[in-house]
Amino acid sequence: MWRDTRMIMLTAVVAAVYAAVLIPFNAIVIIPGLTSVRPANVFPVIFGIMFGPAAAWGSAIGNLISDIFSGQFGAGSLGGFVGNFAFGFVSYRLWGNLGALSSGEEPDFRGNSGRQLVEYVIIAVVGSTACAAIIAWWLDILGLFPFSVFATIVTINNTLASAVLGPPLLYLVYPRIKEMGLLYPDVLRSEDYDTSAGARSTLGGYGVAATAILWVVIGVAIGVGVEGFGFFVSMGSVFNQGGSTIQMALGAVGFLSLFAFSFLARERFSQIRRN
Amino acid sequence: MSDSTSLYVDGDSLLHRLDPRSKLALSLALFVPAYVFGRPEYIAIPLVVAFAGLLAGGGWRNLKRIWFILVALFVVGLVLWPNFVEPSGPTLVDAGPILLTLDQLLFALGRSLRIATFVVTGLAYISTTANEELVRGMRGLGIPYAFCFAVGTALRLFPTFLGAAGTVRQAQEARGLDLSASNPIERIRNFVPLLIPVFMTAFRNVETQSMALEARGFDTRRERTFYRESAFAVRDWAAVALAVAVVVGAVALSSTGVGTF
Repeated sequence: MWRDTRMIMLTAVVAAVYAAVLIPFNAIVIIPGLTSVRPANVFPVIFGIMFGPAAAWGSAIGNLISDIFSGQFGAGSLGGFVGNFAFGFVSYRLWGNLGALSSGEEPDFRGNSGRQLVEYVIIAVVGSTACAAIIAWWLDILGLFPFSVFATIVTINNTLASAVLGPPLLYLVYPRIKEMGLLYPDVLRSEDYDTSAGARSTLGGYGVAATAILWVVIGVAIGVGVEGFGFFVSMGSVFNQGGSTIQMALGAVGFLSLFAFSFLARERFSQIRRN
Repeated sequence: MSDSTSLYVDGDSLLHRLDPRSKLALSLALFVPAYVFGRPEYIAIPLVVAFAGLLAGGGWRNLKRIWFILVALFVVGLVLWPNFVEPSGPTLVDAGPILLTLDQLLFALGRSLRIATFVVTGLAYISTTANEELVRGMRGLGIPYAFCFAVGTALRLFPTFLGAAGTVRQAQEARGLDLSASNPIERIRNFVPLLIPVFMTAFRNVETQSMALEARGFDTRRERTFYRESAFAVRDWAAVALAVAVVVGAVALSSTGVGTF
């Protein structure tokens, strides 16, 4: 991807647009200074589907720029960078990779729009959850906020913005972006992306979805004290004054699984586009 | 960079003169103690140093810009953490469902100070490092040029798109767009007319910008040369040595139980 000038420019533009919309537009402020429903959170999903890896890197850089310009740059920014990368990357890898749940169509919401909507919403939920899990895990490791609190808030925020805004935005902009020739299968050389229509790829897609959702569900369950885990993190069990050891271990497994499954899930959008 | 969106403060302080990489090492020297210590009196030390660095670098006006965020993060941490720590030590508050012990309070205070240290240190770094320096520092750390170029271009484009976003918002609100609907779903949906113009403005020129770059010989596959190479001065080496000493010292102290619960 980094060999192609247009992909590099797309990365820069995605990053700049994401940051430019992240900062001034807050739809609903939940905790001042900490969390709000941000319409910009739709971008990693729709950009991920259209611009592929450029959107993943662009979302990560855009979130970093937002941290820099809003005065929140710090150790926590690394989690935001990786989490937003995953937000875009998951969306890129999942379109067309959800087996029976996939529409098998381009995301223009014009043909079989009901099935496209189902596929889109699943991707929005999975991307939002993966992003939330990674950021919450990192903040828990740093000992800034408990996993269960942050993962819940970010999952809801991201899902709301991306699920509500994504379909109308794609309906309106997808044909124009396609006409401009900026969809990633039109920009990248075929040897620059891994494509597959095999069952292994679908398994990867389901694996990404299951991992992201289970990570957040189990992590929150541990935090709120179900299944015999204590509600409290005793000070003695707090690893090196960072997050709780069990959340760290769960996060390590979740992160590695997400990484492995998302590489198993080869992109399939280029084949849909060709057909 | 002089645009009002940037938090960089032009100046000639010692922090301004340091290489971005040595400033990063100094930032780590504040992050690590704030991370490895748990007791608030120990975490207060890197916080005070970060504040001093911020003020020395002329970042006071930036602090005034974000004080609300800083206070909100601090208070949220202070309220949240006691609920996630086992009660122990003398009881401070025992009113119905609310129980707060001294240890819980100290633990929460430590976490809130840690958040504040991270934010103030980051702000000091950004206040004394121009965007171009940030990118140069990344390149100096061995990050591939194409990635650094994307970050640098995004930093340059960002103020333009931010301005466009503000203009579009004013224009759409003048046409009657209501962004204060009481139904949250309705409120989010009302952002569609704002996002489309910003989005299309941004992507319209990608093709021509790419052609312009290639016409000027832009090629990420070849080895590049630079007009201005990063040079690590004696003061930068001294800063890195200081940072290493602080990190090693903090880790060694905390591993013997100093400053922890």
